[in-house]
Parts: sequence; structure tokens; C-alpha cells
Amino acid sequence: MRDRIVPVLRGLIFIVIGLVLCGVIFTIAGYSAPLMFQSIAEGAFLRPRAFEHALRWGLPLFITAVGVGISFRAGYFNIGAQGQFYVGAIFAAFAAEWLNGAPAVLVIPACFAAGMLGGALWAFWPGLLRLKSGTDEVITTLMGNFLAGLLLIYVTSGPLKDPSGSGQQASSRPLDAAYRISDSYGLSPTIVAIALCVGTAMWILVNRTAFGVLAGLAGRNARMIEWQGAQLYRLGLSSFLISGALAGLAGTLEFMGPNGRLASGFLPTHGFTAILIALVANLSVVGTAFVSLFFGGLASAALFMPIMAGLPAAAIDIVNAAIALFITAKSNAIDRLFGSRGRK
Amino acid sequence: MDDIIIAILRSGTPLVYVTLAGVIAQRAGVWHLGLEGLMITGACATILGIYLSGSVVLALIVAIAACVVGSILFWFVIEKLKANPIIAGLGLTGLGLGGTALAVQSIFGTQAAVNAPFGLPRLGPAFGSYGVLSVFVLLMPVFVFAMWVLLRRTRFGLKLAACGEHPFAARSVGVNPSAMRLAALMIGGVFCAIGGAELAAGSLQIFAQNMTSGRGFMAFAAVIFGAAHPVGAAFAALFFAVVGAIGIRAQLIFGDNVPHDLLLGLPYIATIFGIWLSTRLRGGNKTAASFGELRDY
Repeated sequence: MRDRIVPVLRGLIFIVIGLVLCGVIFTIAGYSAPLMFQSIAEGAFLRPRAFEHALRWGLPLFITAVGVGISFRAGYFNIGAQGQFYVGAIFAAFAAEWLNGAPAVLVIPACFAAGMLGGALWAFWPGLLRLKSGTDEVITTLMGNFLAGLLLIYVTSGPLKDPSGSGQQASSRPLDAAYRISDSYGLSPTIVAIALCVGTAMWILVNRTAFGVLAGLAGRNARMIEWQGAQLYRLGLSSFLISGALAGLAGTLEFMGPNGRLASGFLPTHGFTAILIALVANLSVVGTAFVSLFFGGLASAALFMPIMAGLPAAAIDIVNAAIALFITAKSNAIDRLFGSRGRK
Repeated sequence: MDDIIIAILRSGTPLVYVTLAGVIAQRAGVWHLGLEGLMITGACATILGIYLSGSVVLALIVAIAACVVGSILFWFVIEKLKANPIIAGLGLTGLGLGGTALAVQSIFGTQAAVNAPFGLPRLGPAFGSYGVLSVFVLLMPVFVFAMWVLLRRTRFGLKLAACGEHPFAARSVGVNPSAMRLAALMIGGVFCAIGGAELAAGSLQIFAQNMTSGRGFMAFAAVIFGAAHPVGAAFAALFFAVVGAIGIRAQLIFGDNVPHDLLLGLPYIATIFGIWLSTRLRGGNKTAASFGELRDY
């Protein structure tokens, strides 16, 4: 147990360093750093029903982050969760549009299937390029994020445009209330159940199946796994597809639950936060669940801070970016910097 | 024809400068995904500098200082704290995007775009219709050539290449890879600042949130496409700009027949194609993820 907790605690040290950097940035920008931290703490964890707010933001993040963890485990830097999240939501929206009028028992599963298919598809081509010809997945998935963002703008201002909508942000027609899986508050038994299912299935996949074990080994030493007869191609492509499908599932969840419609550029930092969560949790499924709650709290604080401290919502993006900057730092690096305690 | 070339040079020049920053980092063995964040920092600092001080020179100095500080931070995190350069680079990018948005918000109280009264000096009427371009467009080939000389014809550049390719060999002749990387990243910071300045103040004189929209990542792709050679990477960057210009041209020709949001995606598709092609041509065993750690030995 100890060797599982210690890495997470070490991760927390770097979160603290990141927060200090944030404090410096905010002080330079003329805001009060203590007030900022107070409002983050209050918005994230101390206000009434903070836990429910954290769950609302944390559950979709958890689903995406578990997927990111699967591809990272297999040694592929699929950083395109944002794009897969968007394409999943777009596919689900199209499914809902076409099946509009059919009974909800039919439409909701169809939307989820479409969403997962969309996400998997958006992870499929970078995966294929990576495994067929070795094309760097970091760049292809990044470019995929931008393309998916444009696709979302196109879809919400074109085929799925809400004719009654006006204003700057284009959005689709609102989803029929019968098909919603939660109200705008964003927490419902359905969403919790889906997250639990995903978590359990992925924990089993990672820890109790040959695929999970081999993928984990492939991430550390792909050549050895290949010599031992595992099919790296299938292993790699599956991990791309699973991570894409889960990001697409999260997109569907946000579309059919809290948001109820597609808006261009909605939740633009979801994928990036999910990558952070996976890294902080050291790619473990159980860890991801806890870390998701933490970052879910931060995400809910982003809506709270402008009201309380007069800070722009971008403040949370800065906090997340600062954490990203430090999160992969080796913990023994600190020992090396400040003396010789690290030597044994 | 002239207006197409002007459009290409306008969108391509910032990209080329940032690509040069990526090239020198790549030579030193650092896969630099923080280019985007440094570029927008340079763009923001330039516009704010012009707006607040009224001097272009002062604004450029501020932009360069900001980007060099950002580069030093990046170096410290990946070199001293041994963080993964890919993730740390993405973090630096997020810090740049969020930090510039915060700066604009805290100075002006809104998130709207900021207009500067004037921009970088222009070439002027002596260049005919090209006079609307900024001087940095004309300086671009000079800088590309200078970077080539620095990397390929000086002792510093050769040592740098050794640090990137075989740090152990570099150490054995008394070169400190860590210090060399710091130098490379700082020089890269200067180029990112110029690229950002050119983007924001070269023709538009405006700063808007997220205005780089992935150009830093495109520059990184141009580095790979151009095999980390200054001239090759510069041409790769110009190729992306050409594709972008074709997209804008196609909008004018096809009008509403082709959705213009999808045409905006052409540079990204070109980038993916470029990366794919360069892996086909040169083999694909070197991917960014495999450089997740800096090597000292």
C-alpha cells in the first residue's frame, strides 16, 4: 500500500510548487494571492454541497482520464482527448437529431454508442498513423484537437444550428428533455452509474486481463513484448481506440447531461485536465478516481471564483497549467537540488 | 499574385521565427512543445508594451525578456527537476495562454482584444505593394541563414548538436549539456518573442486571446518536417503558410459552397500530412514520446 500512496503524495508536493508559482503570477497581475487561494479552497471544497459540485465536474473528467491513462500505459502519448471528447459529443448529437421522436430507451443507448464510436474514430487515425508508419502521435493528436474544434464550430453553426439561437456562441438545438440523463445541475444516478461501470471495467481490464498487463509492459519496453510474441500492433491500436471511446463517452455525457446541447468551444480544457489527472494519479485507475474529485473541485471553483474574488475563470487554467509544468518532475530531483538527502 | 505572396509572408513569417526556436531546441535534444506559450507571450508583451510605453523598441525588449524568462523556467523544470519535456512544454503553453488572458483582463478589465496604436516598422513605399510588410519579413531570410551558420559552422553549434545526439560524447570533451540546453532555449526564447511580435504587430496591431491558435505546435511540426535543419524547417513552415493562404483563397472563390470553418482546418491537415511524410521518408523510430526524458549520458 505504501508504495502506492507515496508517489501520489510526491505528486502533491509538485502541485504545491505549482500553486506557489500561480500565486507569484497572480500577485504580479495585481490580484491578491491569499484571496485567490481562499476562493479556490472555498469554491472547491468548503462551500455547501462542494462534494456534489466536485462530483459533477469530476465524473466526466474521470472517464476521460481513465482513457488517457490506458494509452499512456501502453506507451502512446495520446494527448488528443479534447478532440475525441468533441467528436464524441458531435456524433451523439447527430444520433439524437436523427432519432428524434423515438422512445428514450432506444435513443439514449444509441447516442452513447454513437458518442463512443465518434471518440474512437478520432483516436483511430492517429493510432493507425502511429502504428503503421511511426508518425508522431503527439503532433497528430494535437492537430486533431484543433480540427475537432473547427468541426464543432462548423456543426453548431451549420447542420445542427439552433435557428432560434442568437448571440456570439453558436449552439445546437437543445436536446429533448426526455433524452436528458440529468438536469443542468449535472449529477444524476445514471451518470454516477456510468462512471462506476467504466471505472470497474477499466480496473479489471488493466489489472486482471492479459491485455492490460501486456499493454502496461509494452509501455515500458515495447521491444521485449514483441520478442515475446505479443502483437504490438493490435495492443497499441486497441489502447488508442479505448482511450478515444472513453473520451467520446465523456463528451456524450456532457452533451446529454449537464449541457443538454452542443455549443461551439464548450469545456475547452477538459482534455488537458484529464491528461493532468492521469499523470497525477500515476496512471492507476483507483488513483484516477480520487484525483478526478480533486480536479473536479478545482473545475467547480472556476465558476465560483469570478463571483467571489473577481478573478477571471482563466485563473483555473493557469493553476492547471502550472501543475502540468511540474507534475512529471522526478521527486528525487528535489533532494538533489537541496542537499544530499537523496543519496543512499 | 502579389497579394497572395503578401498573405503567405504575413502568416508565414511568425511561423518561421518560432520554427527557428524549435530547431535550435531540437538540436540540443529538447522537444519543445512550449513554443505556443512563448509565442503568445511574445505577442501579448509586444502589444501591451507598445500600448503602455509607446515605443516599439521597448516593447520588443519586454517581449524578449518575457520569453527568455519563460524559457529559463522551462529549462529549470525539465533539466533541474527532470520533468517530462512534453508535458512540461504543454504546461508552459497553458501558462502562456492563461497568463496572457489574465494580463489583458487585469490591465483592461475586459477580455476583449487589445488594439495598439501602431505596430512594427514597415518596409515602406520603396518596396511597392510589399511595403505593407514589416521589416522582420525582410530580415527573416537573414535570420534563417544566421541560424544555419550558428548551428552548422560554429563551434557552439557543433557542440550543441553533440549534446542533442550523444550527450555522453559531449561530456567526454568537457561540454556541459545542461548549460548548452539553457543557451539553446534562451536563444529560442528570443526567436519566439520575435515571432509573437510579428504575429501581433506585424500587420494587425492587435492582441486577442488564443490568437496563436496552434501556430506554435505547427512550428514544432515544421521542425520535424524539416529534419531540424534551419532552411528545411523554414521551408516547411512556409509550406504550412501556403496551405493556409490557399484555404483563405478557396473561401473567396467557392464562397458559401464549402464551409469556411473546414477550410480553416487545411493548415492542420497539412501539418499532419507533413509529419506523416517526413516519417515515411526518414523512418519513424524517433517520436516525441520516446524523448520523454532528457539524456545526460
